[in-house]
Amino acid sequence: MKKIGGLILIVLLAGCSSSASVKITSSFPSVLSEPKPIDASILIEDSFATYVGTPNKNTTIDIGASQVNLLNSAFSGLFDNVDFVTSLDQVTAETDLIITPSVIEVQLSTPSDNYLNVFEVWIKYNLDIQAKDGALITNWFMPAYGKTPDSFMADKEKAIELATIIALRDAGAKLMLDFYRIPAINDWLSRQNINQESQSL
Amino acid sequence: MTKTIGKLGGQLGLLIMLLSGCSATTTIDEYRPTDQPIVLSGDEKVVILGRRDAGHYETDREFIECVSDEVTSGGIKVLPEQQFIDAIYPWFEPRTAPKGLPRLKRLIQQNNVKAKIDSLSIRYLVWLDGSTETTGKGGSMSCAIGPGGGGCFGFAQWDKLSVYEATVWDLDELVEKGKLRVDSEGTSYLIGVVAPIPLLTPVKNDACGSLGNQLKLFFSIK
Repeated sequence: MKKIGGLILIVLLAGCSSSASVKITSSFPSVLSEPKPIDASILIEDSFATYVGTPNKNTTIDIGASQVNLLNSAFSGLFDNVDFVTSLDQVTAETDLIITPSVIEVQLSTPSDNYLNVFEVWIKYNLDIQAKDGALITNWFMPAYGKTPDSFMADKEKAIELATIIALRDAGAKLMLDFYRIPAINDWLSRQNINQESQSL
Repeated sequence: MTKTIGKLGGQLGLLIMLLSGCSATTTIDEYRPTDQPIVLSGDEKVVILGRRDAGHYETDREFIECVSDEVTSGGIKVLPEQQFIDAIYPWFEPRTAPKGLPRLKRLIQQNNVKAKIDSLSIRYLVWLDGSTETTGKGGSMSCAIGPGGGGCFGFAQWDKLSVYEATVWDLDELVEKGKLRVDSEGTSYLIGVVAPIPLLTPVKNDACGSLGNQLKLFFSIK
């Protein structure tokens, strides 16, 4: 009887554990966009493809595969031809732009942190954008944000997963909306004589 | 005999009084330039979307689904919210969704966006914006459990207020076709007499039903 009581207590205490390990596996919709006639190579480094965010010591969020999936779709909406490469050696001579995305940080805010009834996730990206000759055009800081509608009766891992998926979708939206608004990209485009009509919402 | 009837009558009166306290008060305001319904022809569909750009609240999906179900029950074809948002990604995400008609007009100028909306046969877009909040709480309830059993004693009450606004956009003529606003409020009670007895006022359901029914009147099917 005592053993059963002890087991129930352990199970109950395990339920109160505040650690969470989340892996994002969801896919993302294709983007609806008119790409520009640009050939781009997206350099996906191993550290990006396998990235696991640790917003605090008790939480890990594995976003590596899903963010590659998202960028695959988003960059295809920005450029006519996109090559995903894993090293600079694979970049072809036709490439106009070489973009290397990286994650600076993943931040998490839970109801106990923010005193709101929501979970929030921030993913801070950096895009290193180079011309085909290797000259740096710009380093673009791209923050993305997602939150749950509310956390009432929500399982912590499910809530973090939902907020992260919304943040990843937001990253895709931010990229589509703002990429051609980056002043350095705008300057580069005008020098390349590439049509700048689209993507100007 | 008379004493028993009197006791029963008293209990019935108390029950009626308690239950009458559980009904929501709902008000609907409507604006539209004409009293003629919008005629939906053939395969034309409506999409109902929730606003999610405010920081402190977002229109919950459950409410959107509830209103969509109400409108669908009137024979109007409604495209599910997530299906539309995914089909037109990323242009109706919280960051990118058009907040006004000028932005919508610029978005529709993109040929592929217009083509996608046409291919989905969506003619009208209904924005729902609002939330349900607890505005006041009172009373107290305490529960205890022991070897001989347990129970709750006390009384608690809370007030809820639902405020939602619906705006109808015509995606073909790119004009606003009308606005609806629903305010619904009510008080719920929890009475603890050994077992806790909840007397809940369905404030959000009332708001959904009223808004859905009124939206149905906006449209007619050819």
